[in-house]
Amino acid sequence: MRRSVFTGALLMALGFGIAEPGAGRGNFTVSAQQKAETAEVKIDNFSFGPTELTVSAGTTVTWINRDDIPHTVVSTDKVFKSKVLDTDDKFSFTFSKPGTYPYFCSIHPKMTGKVIVQ
Amino acid sequence: MHPFDLKTVLLAKHAQHVVLIHFPIALFLAGVAFDFLAHWTKRQSLAAAAYCNLFVAALSSIPVLVTGVLAWQWQLEGQRLKGILLQHLVLGSASSALIWLAWFIHARARHDNGYHRNGLLPGYRLPIEALGTVVVAITGHLGGFLSGVNGPG
Repeated sequence: MRRSVFTGALLMALGFGIAEPGAGRGNFTVSAQQKAETAEVKIDNFSFGPTELTVSAGTTVTWINRDDIPHTVVSTDKVFKSKVLDTDDKFSFTFSKPGTYPYFCSIHPKMTGKVIVQ
Repeated sequence: MHPFDLKTVLLAKHAQHVVLIHFPIALFLAGVAFDFLAHWTKRQSLAAAAYCNLFVAALSSIPVLVTGVLAWQWQLEGQRLKGILLQHLVLGSASSALIWLAWFIHARARHDNGYHRNGLLPGYRLPIEALGTVVVAITGHLGGFLSGVNGPG
């Protein structure tokens, strides 16, 4: 009887020991999601602002059209491409790989910008 | 970009429409002006000038329509249009139809009354041409708004 109680206690302790790291990982995952970075680029008066944006890998960049004119956000290297954004429309893209991502508005090709992912 | 870099200019997918559009607009407005003057002064030579301007305006509206549709297909990958872009497309098509209609009325009058005479032009052409002028003006305004002629740089 004593032996079985001891064995049971040992198994419970082991069980907690195994479960604990799992619980820790869960918390870490949530905190990692909370830390997911975002950045915003405003489109206004026929320009992207900021024109050059530096972010870390994993950052989601959102372009929002504050102009009265429809615009698009098109990667020069064809990495991403938005639909036509009317006033207050948004487009988001998550940059997972480091690099330089130049982009432009396909309706107004003189409008250019760049996202630098570190 | 060099202003005489023809290769870049001709191969720019977006650029042709905004260049070519000036021709039908100018020719149509000149044609309408000549036709109104012909109506008031009863001068055949002005009606002939109107016919010639309307004819070239109608012809030049074809490449404008084609390049506009191509810009839509190439630059925006033919995605469903809405807002100002859709209004511009609809009014642009209507403008072209009205230009062709104005020319057709003149052409038919010339045909019915002798090829080298302007004959009796029907009075209803004038409100049609006036409507065409308004539609062309609105389409051009929207086009200028879209292309950013009032924007910086």
